[in-house]
Amino acid sequence: MAVYRRSTRHRFLLVLLVLTSITVITLDVRGGGGGAMESVRRAARDAFAPVQSAADDVISPVDDFFGGLFRYGHLKAENARLRRQLADARGKANGASSADRERDELLALQKLTFAGDVPAVAARVVATSPSNFQLTVEIDKGLPTGIQKGMPVVTGAGLVGRVVAVSQERATILLLTDPAFNVGIRLSGSGDVGVARGNGVRQPLPVDLVDVGTKVTGGEVVETSGLQGSVFPPGIPVGKVRAAKVQPGSLQQEVSIDPLVDLSRLDFVKVLIWQPKADTP
Amino acid sequence: MNNARAKVPLILLIFLVVELTVLDHLRVFGAGPDIMLLLAVVAGIVGGPRVGALYGFAAGIVLDLFLETPMGLSALVFCIVGYAVGSIQGGVLRAAWWIPVVTTFVASVAGVLAYALTATVVGQPGLVTPHLFVVAAVVGVFNAVVSPFALRLVRWAVADIERAERAYA
Repeated sequence: MAVYRRSTRHRFLLVLLVLTSITVITLDVRGGGGGAMESVRRAARDAFAPVQSAADDVISPVDDFFGGLFRYGHLKAENARLRRQLADARGKANGASSADRERDELLALQKLTFAGDVPAVAARVVATSPSNFQLTVEIDKGLPTGIQKGMPVVTGAGLVGRVVAVSQERATILLLTDPAFNVGIRLSGSGDVGVARGNGVRQPLPVDLVDVGTKVTGGEVVETSGLQGSVFPPGIPVGKVRAAKVQPGSLQQEVSIDPLVDLSRLDFVKVLIWQPKADTP
Repeated sequence: MNNARAKVPLILLIFLVVELTVLDHLRVFGAGPDIMLLLAVVAGIVGGPRVGALYGFAAGIVLDLFLETPMGLSALVFCIVGYAVGSIQGGVLRAAWWIPVVTTFVASVAGVLAYALTATVVGQPGLVTPHLFVVAAVVGVFNAVVSPFALRLVRWAVADIERAERAYA
């Protein structure tokens, strides 16, 4: 009897916890990213930010050590290559002082080649996603710098993703390879538009809605289209066409693109302080 | 009992810090370990269905704070996993060393699959793909390998609760 009562009690607890979870899920999904859940999340992330920074300081040397251990052969080859390059560089170094000055000037002038009129906040990537089911990174800038949900994130090479959560100290960026990511694109060759969507880690992005008659060449660069109501400003490079083919009887071409940015090695990114025009009809 | 109550947040914090700072760098075939799920499984093995469900819920809700998936999703899946493991494993008192390891592997794989299915039900796109099985395998193997350490840690935390429960019963 005692055993029976105990297991009933356990089952009651389970039901209670399950119902609590479902209530919280419902609140969060129905709340649409605002409300109580959002503020709890923000508070937790801000509270955790110093812990994360401290832990990262301790871990990164260890991380580098193990990284080196596993890639010993690669490092050895790289070392040999670097020695050769060093020898070359020594030869050139004497005439390099003027080049140095030029380089400094170029660095001072350095700007994004696209979206030049949009203000941007530079930030450092401090963490990647703890989950296997979302492709995100965290950056070390938050609300005080003007970052808002939905803003585009780029590197010098092109589009990285968009901001999906911001707290005081941190912002979370959904990478363009995440299955929940969509972006309106324009093919640079033909000017035809389509929609690219994420398809998972290290997978090319399929592009929908490209007309059968459009001529698509391999390696062609695609950019954000910036059409009305788009969440991105026009002209940000997104990727290069990997393959394009037309299935018989299909109404659209099967186009896939590779992202221009190496998403596995993100270090510094820029958040464009840009919000879609609200007055779209 | 007071002592045990203090240990629960401590264990949660240790696992969370490791998950968010160390393990997010570790990626094998594009998949990383999930030690919050491991915590739920191990708590079930050590403490039975009640402790498994409670630890699973707590671990899940804490992890959810740092994810963009709907809040409570991990809590839901992890508390069921903890409860299930506890119910199955609860009767085994002094098992061979490999039984918890195998249990952890199976439960972790099942947990990952259950998470992807539940997330799909609440509207997360693109989770049920061939890559899901890679993720499940990576999580399963990693969790199984580190389960002896986690077992020792959780046993230390749960010991007081068990003693109190035995006195209560």
